[in-house]
Amino acid sequence: MDGVLGIEEYLVVASILFCIGLLGVILRRNVLLILMCLELMLNAVNLALVAFARYSGNMDGVILTFFAITVAAAEVAIGLAILVALYRRRKSIFLQDLNLLGR
Amino acid sequence: MNDFKLYAEANDWGLLVPEISLAFGALLLLCREALRKQGRESGGGLAFLLQGGLLVYFVARYLFFDPRPDSAGESAFNGMIQQSFPADVMRCFFLGCAFLTSLFANPGLRERRLPQAEFHALVSLAAASMMLLVQSNHFLMLFVSLETVAVCFYVLVSYHRGSPYSLEAGLKYLVFGALSSAILLFGIALLYGTAASWSGGTAPSDPLSFTMLEQFVAANSDSLAVRAGTAFVLAGLAFKLGAAPFQAWVPDVYQGAPTAVTAYLAVASKSAGFVVLFNLVTGPLFGLREFLIPLLSLVAIITILFGNLGALTQTNVKRLMGFSGVAHAGYLLVGIIAAIGMHPDVPEKSVFWAIVFYLLSYSLASYGVFGVMGVLAPTEDADQPRSLYSSLAQKQPFLAFTLAVGLGSLAGIPPLAGFIGKLLLFVVAFQAELYGLLAVMVMGVVIAIYYYFAWIRETVFPPLPSLDSSDKEPQVLWSPQFPSLLLACILGLLTLTTILLGFYQSSLGQSF
Repeated sequence: MDGVLGIEEYLVVASILFCIGLLGVILRRNVLLILMCLELMLNAVNLALVAFARYSGNMDGVILTFFAITVAAAEVAIGLAILVALYRRRKSIFLQDLNLLGR
Repeated sequence: MNDFKLYAEANDWGLLVPEISLAFGALLLLCREALRKQGRESGGGLAFLLQGGLLVYFVARYLFFDPRPDSAGESAFNGMIQQSFPADVMRCFFLGCAFLTSLFANPGLRERRLPQAEFHALVSLAAASMMLLVQSNHFLMLFVSLETVAVCFYVLVSYHRGSPYSLEAGLKYLVFGALSSAILLFGIALLYGTAASWSGGTAPSDPLSFTMLEQFVAANSDSLAVRAGTAFVLAGLAFKLGAAPFQAWVPDVYQGAPTAVTAYLAVASKSAGFVVLFNLVTGPLFGLREFLIPLLSLVAIITILFGNLGALTQTNVKRLMGFSGVAHAGYLLVGIIAAIGMHPDVPEKSVFWAIVFYLLSYSLASYGVFGVMGVLAPTEDADQPRSLYSSLAQKQPFLAFTLAVGLGSLAGIPPLAGFIGKLLLFVVAFQAELYGLLAVMVMGVVIAIYYYFAWIRETVFPPLPSLDSSDKEPQVLWSPQFPSLLLACILGLLTLTTILLGFYQSSLGQSF
């Protein structure tokens, strides 16, 4: 297998991307960056799905990827819309300033 | 060409007429809104008509045309959709929830001058996708319908877009929701990947289908990848249910969302999650029961304790309902665990009906309570301290009675439906020999009585006069208005059903 990538390499990359995204969502304070990290997580899963589909010869994973991309786009569109509306009210997109609830 | 014809015939569109008409109704509402003349009131009458009409259609179908609740059900769209009597009952349930939500939200929307048509279109779309969700028999179908529900709810939660509370709740819900869908999708990818590239036997031809996964998972129950995939899928679902460890969003989002949306979120979204969880653990993931039972038991215990202990210190009633919603999710999880424990031995899905009865009693009581909250809500929806309800019984006896019956049913006080719901869950948990979980449940119920009754006490008894005489008089600026006649009738009906279901439960009552 010299010089040829096996499925393991793809899965390792996908897992690393997923973990980077997860850490970003947990640690970041800027909502825009959080949304980007969420996209990173979904794309990591897409990579894993495509790799699985390629190596098993079953095309369902590729189709699921298309749906995942669509869903991610819808989610981010709504997220940005809410963020813009919130920014107009609060003049901030940092998590530490978004603490009205629960006081 | 022949293959296409075969596929086209397998797609039995007729089975999905209710979902399709709801979605088209929503689109029609949006088109009419786009073409609306400036200055004319936008309305959601079409949505009411559609939701009510479909509800009548379902009931009439079972009463007059097709009375075979015991049939195995039909499979359509190449096994993507599995229709059955339980799924149809849940479809009715979601239609009813959508109808009540639209009805309760309407006065608030009109008062705040927010567009009504879009709200009702979103509620209908969410209902249609929840109806698809409970029938899905394929992970692709499950993922797409789950996400459609979530996307509709992101917008609904932040619908009061002038209010920073509502927007903040919407953003928090979106971040948690997107996180959970990424985790869910990762779990699906792991299950798919291991099933599709299985070298031990013949790999399933459609590794996302529940039916095929069931055999694969049963044969590979000790594989690490399958267990990790299952854990990820359950984590993604736990978010929808508001169960530990993904319950942190619940109080905030319940507080910030418009009251009617909170009710919809608490009842319909949670019920959809539980039905999907039931389908998964008794279907494709059943082979992992040795792994699932301890995992879910831990989750249930943490969820019950978190919900009940968190609710003790709350003075904002919307947050209180959030925490109590977490606690109810914990009780229902015990029912799910009982379902895994007894799955092949107990036919006729008696555990399923216990869960459905609990959901029904929970929804009746919740809609009653949230309906009253919607009537009494100040302009800023999120800000509802318990003191707002002081001596409500003197000012508005009808609303106070509705509230007391609803809260009593949520607490599980004997003659009401909520008591029977809890009793049925206790019975199935006892039959499944889950004694430890039963103890935690009883403890949770006892704690819950305290905070529900603190709220009832606030409505019945006038507040004690303050010892500090320099303290200003309690402000009585707020005087509750009587709800519209239609709303009052619906609230009365909910209360009446809650009381009646406590006395008569049809065939369910025979299980003890």
